Amino acid sequence: MYKAPQITTPVGNADEINALMSRYGVKFGIYKNGTFKEQLFPFDAIPRVISHKDFEKMEKGLVQRVDALNMFLYDIYHDKHIIKDGIVPEDFVYISKGYLPQCEGVTPPKNIYSHISGIDLVQAKDGEWYILEDNLRIPSGASYPLIARELSRIAAPNVFSDNAVVDNRNYAIMLKDVMDYCNCGGVNAILTPGRYNAAYFEHSYLAERTDSLLLQSNELFVEDNVLYHRDYSGTKSRVGALYRRISDEYLDPMTFEPESLIGIPNLMDVYRAGNVAIINALGNGVADDKGIYYFVPKMIKYYLDQDPILKNAPTYLPFYEEDKKYVLDNFEKLVIKDVSEAGGYGVVFGSDLKGEELEKMKNLVKTQSRRFIAQEVIDFLDLPIIEDGKEVMRKADLRAFVLSGSQTKVWASGLTRFSRNPDSFVVNSSQGGGFKDTWVLSR
Amino acid sequence: MGVISIEHSDKLFWLGRYSVRVFTELESVLKYYDNMIDGDVISYKEYLKNLGLADDYKNGQEFLQSFLYDENNVNSIAYSLNRAYDNGIVLREHISTNALSYLQLAIDTLRNSKSSTNALRYSLIPLRDNMFAFWGCVDNYMISDEANTILRLGKSIERLDLYFRLGYPLSAIDAEFKLLCSRLLKMPRNSPYNYNRKSLTVLTEVTGMENYRVRLGEALQALANMFTPNPTPKPQKQFQFQQ
Repeated sequence: MYKAPQITTPVGNADEINALMSRYGVKFGIYKNGTFKEQLFPFDAIPRVISHKDFEKMEKGLVQRVDALNMFLYDIYHDKHIIKDGIVPEDFVYISKGYLPQCEGVTPPKNIYSHISGIDLVQAKDGEWYILEDNLRIPSGASYPLIARELSRIAAPNVFSDNAVVDNRNYAIMLKDVMDYCNCGGVNAILTPGRYNAAYFEHSYLAERTDSLLLQSNELFVEDNVLYHRDYSGTKSRVGALYRRISDEYLDPMTFEPESLIGIPNLMDVYRAGNVAIINALGNGVADDKGIYYFVPKMIKYYLDQDPILKNAPTYLPFYEEDKKYVLDNFEKLVIKDVSEAGGYGVVFGSDLKGEELEKMKNLVKTQSRRFIAQEVIDFLDLPIIEDGKEVMRKADLRAFVLSGSQTKVWASGLTRFSRNPDSFVVNSSQGGGFKDTWVLSR
Repeated sequence: MGVISIEHSDKLFWLGRYSVRVFTELESVLKYYDNMIDGDVISYKEYLKNLGLADDYKNGQEFLQSFLYDENNVNSIAYSLNRAYDNGIVLREHISTNALSYLQLAIDTLRNSKSSTNALRYSLIPLRDNMFAFWGCVDNYMISDEANTILRLGKSIERLDLYFRLGYPLSAIDAEFKLLCSRLLKMPRNSPYNYNRKSLTVLTEVTGMENYRVRLGEALQALANMFTPNPTPKPQKQFQFQQ
């Protein structure tokens, strides 16, 4: 039986640390019934601990995976060898909502598509790590463990003296290195939809820590295929790297969603001309599509000629007849995911469905088979959390952050999210989940 | 971060205004509370009158509760503090997370004081401390002189406005006016903070008068119009020499 390295006592007093979180404005926004509310992201003071050996393996596996995904993105928007060679069926590429024909033939600066990759993993009870999904568009969440560590070190310094924990407070430096490396000349900027975005804390905190401008689209404009920012006295300055926190479809109303009020008209022209690095690149959604996920191990073999170091959760594509039959026959023991949804939405556990609901869902899978994937329910390793003063066990995942600049590097930390509901596997903050610090041991 | 966008310059200005409003209103409201201790139950009406507000309050206690804690009363300290935070939160990369944290602490302090069993003024001491710490922190962390000047412009305009209305001594008004002038001179002429010459002339005159309240309306109007663009000068008549 695998025994996870574990700290079983909280690091400091969770109330103290949560009070510090409140003081420093560590919040996320949520819309409920049409009203915007900011709330604290509940922090649990028992950290997740990843052994040095586990992290070494994970690090290699994540670098391998993200390198292959970046190669896949280049290939898809250029020569499409992987389709021609029959590794990935074209159906999965061209009908993916994340595939953008407007990006055909466009090569991003330094040939990097996914600069910041958020790879979600879970650890099974046998100790094996499984990849649950890749987030290559705008993965969020790094700022929470970053500030949590800072605050934990204030509240409980001794714990860090007594344990060999890798210092994770270098995330902003890693991010700035990526922005500087890809910068096409000009300042680094973070583009935010504004104060009422769910992740606004993260946007503003990362802007502060990376010494970047935090801008909204109305402060940016395009002139002669160059992106500029205009300051309050009318002086314009060039933007060379734009870490955008706005989805592809809203980024340029002249190319994508014409109704978008949060985009920058003609930004795509600047990008095509190679005059700005857009972080992450446009069109990445085709690679983190839940349908494409199935093919990532094959991509690793195809592009790198290596065996995948990290495993996917066992996944079935109802698109294939054989898989469809298996899924329909074993519906109750699988988790069904709608490939077009994110944030924990569109996830249905077959065991939760009964009668009419079950039949309706099965019918959807039958008739819209491309829209769904099915996965075996992994028996997660539960993690301890403190609830009402008592230790209880809850499901948790890990979002690892992989940054690609001059090299692909894994941040020695990550966002461990847990479900506060004892019966739930859904850990997303938007659905009431909390988070923990993630320790990587240095020896 | 050195470069200031139009949006952020506006937020800086209003952060300056709201943070001073919190502080100055707190001093005033607590002054009336202090009077109440000695049985003076109506002097708060003077405060309302000075600010041109209707007296809809049954008594001094009701006035106090509303002007301290009612987040829906646009003239309350709670309201001003929330607006200061709203402006501050989008300026994190200019003013720092640390500075912003003092505004959050100020909000928490005010909310806690409402249910505190401690004496009112005692429970509000940390609120003043937090505002002082906020300004000190901004001074310490804000790299950009321009950003600092815009924030201080907001502070000066707000202070003068309240000092005029609340009848502060001329010496305080004169000192603040001199600060305002030095800040105005630092702003680029093509920025939204280019001063209106007529407004500045009016304020120069009024701040030299011991009985400045006789021109109170004009002074307030001049402050309100401080950044109204100056009229374009008329082209000078061309003289033609007769041959």
